[in-house]
Amino acid sequence: MTWRDLFKTALSNLGRHKVRTVLSSVGVAVGILTMVTMLSLGVGVQREMIRNFQSIGLETLTLRPKFEERSLFNQFGEPRRTKLLTPTLADELRARPEVVKVTPRIYLPNSMRISLRIDGHEVSIWVWDTDDEGPTEPFSSPVEAVAGRTIESDDPGHITLSTDLLEEMDIDDYQALIGQEVELVLRAPRGDTVAFPFTVVGVLNGRRGVRLGFSDQLALKSWWYNDPKLLETQGYDALTVRTTSLSAATRLLGDLEEQGFEVRSTKMMLDMANRGILIMQAMLGSVGLVALLVASLGIANTMIMAVYERTKEIGVLKAVGAAPRQIRGLFIIEAALIGLIGGVAGTVGGWLLGLGLNRLIVVIMAWQELTIPQNIHFFALSWWLVALALAFATVVGLLAGLYPAARAARLDPLEALRHE
Amino acid sequence: MDIVVRTVGLTRRYKMGDAFVDALRGVDLTIARGEFVALVGPSGSGKSTVLNLIGGLDRPTSGQVWINGTELSASDERTLTRHRRQQVGFVFQSFNLLPRLTAEENVALPLMFSGVPEKERQARARALLERVGLGPRLTHRPTQLSGGEQQRVAIARALVGQPALLLADEPTGNLDTAIGAEIMALLKELNQERGLTLLVVTHDPEVAAFADRIVRLRDGRVQEGGGRP
Repeated sequence: MTWRDLFKTALSNLGRHKVRTVLSSVGVAVGILTMVTMLSLGVGVQREMIRNFQSIGLETLTLRPKFEERSLFNQFGEPRRTKLLTPTLADELRARPEVVKVTPRIYLPNSMRISLRIDGHEVSIWVWDTDDEGPTEPFSSPVEAVAGRTIESDDPGHITLSTDLLEEMDIDDYQALIGQEVELVLRAPRGDTVAFPFTVVGVLNGRRGVRLGFSDQLALKSWWYNDPKLLETQGYDALTVRTTSLSAATRLLGDLEEQGFEVRSTKMMLDMANRGILIMQAMLGSVGLVALLVASLGIANTMIMAVYERTKEIGVLKAVGAAPRQIRGLFIIEAALIGLIGGVAGTVGGWLLGLGLNRLIVVIMAWQELTIPQNIHFFALSWWLVALALAFATVVGLLAGLYPAARAARLDPLEALRHE
Repeated sequence: MDIVVRTVGLTRRYKMGDAFVDALRGVDLTIARGEFVALVGPSGSGKSTVLNLIGGLDRPTSGQVWINGTELSASDERTLTRHRRQQVGFVFQSFNLLPRLTAEENVALPLMFSGVPEKERQARARALLERVGLGPRLTHRPTQLSGGEQQRVAIARALVGQPALLLADEPTGNLDTAIGAEIMALLKELNQERGLTLLVVTHDPEVAAFADRIVRLRDGRVQEGGGRP
């Protein structure tokens, strides 16, 4: 009996009870659909993440100052910094051969109220980082100038505005804004108010707010804390260190950690995120696994029924010379085919569901006015995933068919022939 | 004399509930090549049991079954399968055709299990169906055929593997007298034209009359060694 005969016979047997075959394979389809959706979500999110992290650069480190541990005495306000990121440290890092670039960063506190004043209109805004190195965090789209230019790290007296902000203020002639004088107004809780003058050099897409050079951010923060020597007392808020390679970054990370700095590498973040995704996949994947387990019981039941119904036929087959091995093969192939049918349906269903959900996410993101990176795919169905899903579905069917098939093969031919 | 079947002291004991029933109590039977033997006797005399033991569908409690020089009762499942595939062909009272297969597919079925290529299977099935007079009915399914036609298909199926021995259990039991006689005439023809060895179980004297020799069973024993009708 050739494989072709086996498959032909098994298919024709399945075709006899189409509804039953379909119903039994629905269980597998649901299980595979769940697994495919979950795994493709994992794969898609991971792919997007790697893409994003790579655009930041895996050879990049971020240094943060060391803070005093929080205790009863310092639980309010910002804790004291015990290890400062000084300009000297930045220069030392720049002198290292494996370091390509060191970018100092100042973060303005959340409590700071800043308003932008254009032509007598005032609107509350947020100051973003210069981002002259490209995106510094995952899932942020690159900043591009719609008019004028982007801001640079050291760009005193200049400011860029975002399109979102200007839309809100009903200003649509971006080109006319270039070179215009505007003011940033700060109101401190102590009652002081100050206006810093700036010249607009560009209009950028993306996040609502403005961007300033490093020295201006420092000036704003110094005024807010009323501390002209802020850099000496507090140091930088962060240093972004770009090295020549991933391995150089890993070595430098070890060095700096030994010196007591808080260092994070993009690689570490990526590893952590990967671990998170793996856990999520394992959890969601096991939901599909349970569904498949239930489905396999369904297939086993179907096949036991089929063996019972076809007892007489099995007797005839044995009488005309079918070997137990051949009978077993027939029933196992039938069960495996039920699994495969379910697997195909589940994979196609999972793919369609992924497409639909992806569209839904994009729509929701647009509705929430989040920036959507170009061609984002949160659900990615790769060929290995399709192959794995189909193979897995088939194996589930096959395993479920083992016992019924063994029963069929063991039937006594004479008793089977007497069966009505 | 070329012996096809020889049974020696064949017994078969069945368990029915708590009691044992002796279906056969020592059957010695010899069938020569080309012989047409009718096995007759009242119901419960053990006729079908003898047929099933010779066909390798059942195993004796004691005694031996020799088919073409091979002893069956001590054989493993693999040997029994080979025996059913190569040495014997079965014809049943209720035809036992697979309802979803066409006449041609039903006849070709045994060849599928012995690994004959599909083209050859079709050719051999067609040739046999032509021989039994069903040439124009190749693609009919059993439900589209009369009882007599179904039994012809079954005979073709039993012969397709070119067995040494054809075993028929009440082959006319589900047919009316005229059709039954036609079937028996066909068997007789095949016996004469191909030298086919035939063992037919029946309780009908008219059916037995077609045979060369009649063996009578009563209470699990052969009553008369053999006789001419």
